[in-house]
Amino acid sequence: MKTLVILAWKNIWRHPARSGALLAAAVSGLWAGVLTIGIMNGIHELRMDYLIRNELAHVQVHHPEFLSMGYARHAILEHERIMAWMEKDPRIDSAAPRTLAEGMLHSPVKASGVRIRGIAVDSESRLTNFHDNMVEGQYLSSDGQFPVIMGASLADMHNTQIGERVVLVFDDADYMLTAAAFHVVGLFHSPSKTYDNHTVFVRSRDLAELLAGQTVYHEIAALLYDRNDAQTVTADLAARFPEIDASTWYELSPVLRTLLDIGGFASFFITMVIMLALAFGILNTMLMAIFERIHEIGMLLSIGMARARVFLMVLMESIILTLTGAVAGIILAWISIWHFSRTGINLEMFGRGAQEIGWSKIMPVLDSSGYGMIFLIVVVISISASVYPAIKATRVNPVQAVRERE
Amino acid sequence: MPVVQTEKLSKIYNLDSMPVHALQDVTLSIEKGEFASIVGPSGSGKTTLLNMLGGLDMPSSGSVWVNGRELSGMGDRQRIQFRLWNIGFVFQHYNLIPVFTAWENVSFIMLLQGRDKRAIEHRTNQLLEEVGLGDRKHARPAQLSGGQQQRVAVARALASEPRFILADEPTANLDTKAAMNLLDIMARLNNDKSVTFIFSTHDQRVTQRARRVICMVDGKIVGDERHER
Ligand SMILES: Nc1ncnc2c1ncn2[C@@H]1O[C@H](COP(=O)(O)OP(=O)(O)O)[C@@H](O)[C@H]1O
Ligand SMILES: [Mg+2]
Repeated sequence: MKTLVILAWKNIWRHPARSGALLAAAVSGLWAGVLTIGIMNGIHELRMDYLIRNELAHVQVHHPEFLSMGYARHAILEHERIMAWMEKDPRIDSAAPRTLAEGMLHSPVKASGVRIRGIAVDSESRLTNFHDNMVEGQYLSSDGQFPVIMGASLADMHNTQIGERVVLVFDDADYMLTAAAFHVVGLFHSPSKTYDNHTVFVRSRDLAELLAGQTVYHEIAALLYDRNDAQTVTADLAARFPEIDASTWYELSPVLRTLLDIGGFASFFITMVIMLALAFGILNTMLMAIFERIHEIGMLLSIGMARARVFLMVLMESIILTLTGAVAGIILAWISIWHFSRTGINLEMFGRGAQEIGWSKIMPVLDSSGYGMIFLIVVVISISASVYPAIKATRVNPVQAVRERE
Repeated sequence: MPVVQTEKLSKIYNLDSMPVHALQDVTLSIEKGEFASIVGPSGSGKTTLLNMLGGLDMPSSGSVWVNGRELSGMGDRQRIQFRLWNIGFVFQHYNLIPVFTAWENVSFIMLLQGRDKRAIEHRTNQLLEEVGLGDRKHARPAQLSGGQQQRVAVARALASEPRFILADEPTANLDTKAAMNLLDIMARLNNDKSVTFIFSTHDQRVTQRARRVICMVDGKIVGDERHER
């Protein structure tokens, strides 16, 4: 067995250029592929981070029917106790309660359907970075009467400017249609135009007053130090407060879920494409090597080398060559990812667009399961592509092979 | 009991549906310790006969027995294993593994047999000394002359301790000096150690050295003489 490995290894170097070409293809293919996956993951991280830090947070609490029905009366009754619990929990960075309603925004020009988000200004600005999206005027504060901020594009559609008034219409807790005038104090511009066109922010206490005449919260969002704790925090909340529904960011955001799924699929796809290309390289190189060595293989079979050993010899030659290259490529990519995950890849070269939406630097990442999946694909495909040439080698007829050819 | 024996051995190749009778009813018996040459013009069936004796090719009819065992009764895998333990081969070309040294080429066949490592080392050194290559152990085939390569092949063929060694035109690519040197070595091994050699040739110089000359024409044995040398 050891001799077969040595023989396979020596056979690889019979044609240094040919083997080197396959090796280089494996190294560069895997390096580029894995680094691309890392960068893609980094972009997904940024987008996830963005969504989480703008509204979603890691854990959310609702009345069990709020998410499906969405009526004003589906409020969280125990909000004080829940907020107190969250403040004490060491896994939770910060938490903010929200009062929510669906309604219409009226201006002299037109009416649009909007989500009205009533926020507790102080805790919300600790929880989210949404205030960074302001492009004109101010974020909400405790000053002034019935302030509202809205997407700049929505304001445009309504021909509305800062200082003017708009009317918000919605159902209150008793299903009564309620209307109130709000002062536009600020305009924001988030990465999502849809979001900008359909979302307005008011103070929670103003909205609650109109909805119920008292404090009501429909949602409590909590930001964790480590997003991997989301599951356990949710479980703890559900156990302590059976009247509410607690969900993780992953359950709440179909966008993030899709993003993660697409990311996983894309990584798989990239790896497969690279490996299939490599598989053709392996087939080509090995079949060429076998063809050149027909006489020698015939001699080995003649003197009594079992076909199974011939098979192993060729298989090992092919696998050593490919795996060496692929593993070197993966290690190179790992080093590159590690390096860039510290320095970041600057997006300035892509112009201001990237920065405007809050992407300053991409930090490529790939977790061990990602490396594991890639390695598994590499092993499976290199072996599969090596099997055919190896079988070919065992089919050599010793008689043909040892007969002289003139 | 003869080491190898044939009975009405025939081989018909179908070339473009034209049957070629490469061997016709060859009956032959070779005893242990013989130094037998098979001579005849090119195309007379020497290679075909040696391939049958070595179990590399199957006859169209007739039988081959090696040490009393009939070869055509064996399966492919069994026959390869049988060759490993019973028959030594020296070919005209492509004898050696080019990436291995002379030493590795000789020891390789014993590794295939799964022999003890110390014994392999000892025997490899001894065999290379015997064929006069004690100082060229670590040379690769490309660094050896044609005659030296054939001597390595003889050492390799001996290494597995076969019942007999088949050599198909082993001197065809060698100059006279190298050819005679190879024959000297083979003759000495035959004399001193009773190694059985069966070799084909169409070279007069080689035939003169044989103790038995089997003459072939058109796939038939037309003469079989013994000489005292
Ligand atoms: N694979 C083959 N297919 C068809 N004919 C063959 C084949 N091998 C050998 N022959 C024919 O069989 C005859 C004997 O060939 P061979 O045994 O090689 O003779 P020698 O070794 O004496 O030169 C020749 O006519 C040759 O052309
Ligand atoms: Mg011949």
